[in-house]
Amino acid sequence: MASSRGGGSQQVIRSGDMEKMSLDQLKAVKEQADIEVNLLQDSLNNIRTATGRLENASAALHDLSLRPQGKKMLVPLTASLYVPGTLDDADKVLVDIGTGYFVEKTMAEGKDYCERKINLLKSNFDQLIEVASKKKTLADEAGLILQAKLKQSSPSS
Amino acid sequence: MSSSSTALRELQQDLENKANDLSKLQKDIAKNHQVRKKYTIQLGENELVLKELDLLNEDANVYKLIGPVLVKQDLAEANANVRKRIEYISAELKRLDGSLQDLEEKQHSKREAILKVQQRIQSHQAGKAKA
Repeated sequence: MASSRGGGSQQVIRSGDMEKMSLDQLKAVKEQADIEVNLLQDSLNNIRTATGRLENASAALHDLSLRPQGKKMLVPLTASLYVPGTLDDADKVLVDIGTGYFVEKTMAEGKDYCERKINLLKSNFDQLIEVASKKKTLADEAGLILQAKLKQSSPSS
Repeated sequence: MSSSSTALRELQQDLENKANDLSKLQKDIAKNHQVRKKYTIQLGENELVLKELDLLNEDANVYKLIGPVLVKQDLAEANANVRKRIEYISAELKRLDGSLQDLEEKQHSKREAILKVQQRIQSHQAGKAKA
């Protein structure tokens, strides 16, 4: 699961402080902020992928609940080998809850599980987006101040 | 004259040794961070599992994947196992925290020692230039 922890050592840098910093310090701040923004973007993408997979699972569950018992189906044994079979009990489903544990649940509980996970991921996603946009504004500000200072130190070019 | 240049060489050797120690310390700190990250992720996953197990009825069926085999487990046993794992991981994280602090202190004092040696080298070279 993607965790919403930020980077290891974070310093709160206000825009007032950045005006006073030297060129090198500003460059370091901007690079650090850019790296953090990229990390946060990666986490956001991971959450999006995981949410997509959960929504697929939820849709598959819903589809399964519509199928009658005894319906003929093809069971995958390997990626290219399917064997014919019949649908036995579509009310019980096995849910993977993590670290190798599986729980037998009813169809309703399974759907509920998917929904809970999707909501958890969505709230993580929202939290991360906030943090990411704050970091991005910081990185952009640092970039602007850096450019302004560069122009200052070489006015005749 | 030769005695001061051997002293200089000794100082530079000392500087090199300290610089190597510092880079080893930094590698250890980076490894500590990596292991910490792995344990934190595992801890989070195990806590999720525990939450799910708590929501179950007493008679719900729990299975554990051991290699390619899905084995039926007792709910109480599964709870106990997950709790034990969470305890173990928390203890490991605490231990890592302690050793990280220790490493960072060592890194700090190593940096100061390096600075001192550098200053001695500089004053040595300044002294040699004047003489």
